[in-house]
Amino acid sequence: MPELNSQPKAEITDAASAIAVLDAVAAQPTLVRINQAGRQIDALADLLGRVPLRLACLSSFTMDPLKASIELHGLRAGFRFETYVAPYGRFEQELIDPSSGLNAGGPQAVLLAVRLPDVCPALYDSFNGISPREAGDILGEWFTRLGTALRTFRERSSAPVLMQNYEMPLSPALGIADAGGPHSQASTLRDANARLQQLSRDIPNLYVMDYDGLVARVDRERWCDPRTRLFARIPVASGHYWRLAGFYVSHLRPLFGLSKKVLVLDADNTLWGGVIGDVGLNGIQLGQDFPGNAFVEFQKRVLDLHQRGVILAIASKNEPGSVEQVLAEHPQMVLRARHFASTKVSWNPKPPALREIADELNLGIDSFVFMDDSPVECDLMRKSLPEVLTVQLPADPAGYSASIDALDCFEQWTISEEDRKRGELYQAETGRRQLQAVVVDMPAFYRQLEMAMTLYVNHLPHVGRASQMTNRTNQFNMHTVRCTEDDIRRFMTDDQHWVVTVALADRFGDNGVIGMAVVDRGVETWRVPLFLMSCRILGRTVEQSFLRWIAEKAREAGGRRLEAEFVPTAKNRPFSGFFEQCGLRRARDSGDIQLWEANLAAGVEPIPDWIRVAVE
Amino acid sequence: MTNSDKFKSIIAAILQVDEDTVTDQLTPDRVDTWDSLNHINLIGALEQEFGITLATENLERTQSIPVLKSLLAQHGVVV
Repeated sequence: MPELNSQPKAEITDAASAIAVLDAVAAQPTLVRINQAGRQIDALADLLGRVPLRLACLSSFTMDPLKASIELHGLRAGFRFETYVAPYGRFEQELIDPSSGLNAGGPQAVLLAVRLPDVCPALYDSFNGISPREAGDILGEWFTRLGTALRTFRERSSAPVLMQNYEMPLSPALGIADAGGPHSQASTLRDANARLQQLSRDIPNLYVMDYDGLVARVDRERWCDPRTRLFARIPVASGHYWRLAGFYVSHLRPLFGLSKKVLVLDADNTLWGGVIGDVGLNGIQLGQDFPGNAFVEFQKRVLDLHQRGVILAIASKNEPGSVEQVLAEHPQMVLRARHFASTKVSWNPKPPALREIADELNLGIDSFVFMDDSPVECDLMRKSLPEVLTVQLPADPAGYSASIDALDCFEQWTISEEDRKRGELYQAETGRRQLQAVVVDMPAFYRQLEMAMTLYVNHLPHVGRASQMTNRTNQFNMHTVRCTEDDIRRFMTDDQHWVVTVALADRFGDNGVIGMAVVDRGVETWRVPLFLMSCRILGRTVEQSFLRWIAEKAREAGGRRLEAEFVPTAKNRPFSGFFEQCGLRRARDSGDIQLWEANLAAGVEPIPDWIRVAVE
Repeated sequence: MTNSDKFKSIIAAILQVDEDTVTDQLTPDRVDTWDSLNHINLIGALEQEFGITLATENLERTQSIPVLKSLLAQHGVVV
């Protein structure tokens, strides 16, 4: 039985206390705690909600009870949702009718929570009474309805629509024969889910969330409560509201730049058992038997995260050199020095170490996750840097790998080649900085880098990476407009625009695609409606060279003026001053928008000779 | 916390009212937050906090504070 919070109103004075309120709900997400926090949602939103979003929830069941949980989870991720919940079962009308609440509200994202048992009940409760052909007809009719509604909506709005897939039944219609039969209920529902995936490929900006996987992971037998399902069309048991809301929000984060990027790990009793300074290299627990195997398993899960693009770092209180020795020499280590973009080993407090890592990597501290076994370190981190997501490991190392699996903050909708290589890229960055430390003047440093820049115009294989960069890049970004893959593809294929992607290689390795711009090719005036670059490349004259290349192309085509806008946001300060460095003039301001322009007739400054340029 | 205090704080949290307004005189007609949906939340919260399971018929809103108390009493919870 949960302990009831005897102090229903915790004092919310700063971000740390606001996060403490949300963490208390997450620790025991009872209806009472969700409601108590929900009552303070405005105060929480003022401190934590940095990305406002009009979110519409459409469903085949009563979704209202989930609203508070969705909004609270959203705040933990950085969203400030303005939530519209449509009456249950009205999703088709809402999508189709131009004057519906959905369409009138101008949603920026739509959750489409349709349960197949609600729309095709025969497939669930009386499957054995229908023939395979009838089952096919039922699904065919449903997908026609769904496709029509979604296409109609898509003509009106480009907001991403996130659909949940269809759950397997609690008890298979054919009993034990269902798993192997050719026309079984399971195979029919798998077919339905395959068709849903197909629909998401046919209609732009449509995403499928693996709801069936969630139900199976959590507890299929207790996921639904038949009492609230039958009485009020609330199928999901109230004990699972929090989990389901978190599931929805984790799918929204990567679409709006709110996924985390860096995992900072403690070393002693996190990467291995024991304290290296006390027991030495051969005394730490790491190997084939418990508890050593729990740490090996944990490291493997961390490595797997790293190989889908999560940047790793270490913050350890130890004698400098000791952690590095384990990374280099211990035979059972899975993670090695090359996997960590930064390793901070000292007796200094950890919050400043995380700040240093953020500066080195040129990434916002709010994209960091910190994991440590020590409650003291975790508490200090939560209080000093509330924008970091702090995760305390459980007392028993057998539970360590589950702590990695429970993280839902690193999500990305597509994993690109750059993601797989990101660790190497940041590792190479450390080498570049060391080089910078020994050379005297900057041109000499740039020359030693041996940079080769390759520009691609309307290169379709880069669609995914280009869209991803608009969603992930917050700092060196002229106005942080997010683009879906479909938006990019449209720019690439019309006659008016160029999508220019830029890749960079240097003597330390291939950085992959690190920047992109959209160019609107006018007659006299060329405009640059989108310009961004990965922060890890900044300060090497690549950003200026990229813009100069565009300006030169405009001049060659007879353009007389180049125009671009800068819209300052909370995070894109690194961009301010950039246009001025490139010789553009601030023509005028309208509201938050600064319009900058360059006169091309006066010529364009050449790209420095230390960058080799190729066009694909 | 006594069962009685706990009962009050649950009702207060779900109906978004102050704890001292939770008396036998509080009825669904008198608080606009005690609607049919919140009543279902209320039953769910009582179940979660007291570790009991109530029958589906109790999800009907035709109830009052004394009725909820006697419902809990039937499940061995005296408030």
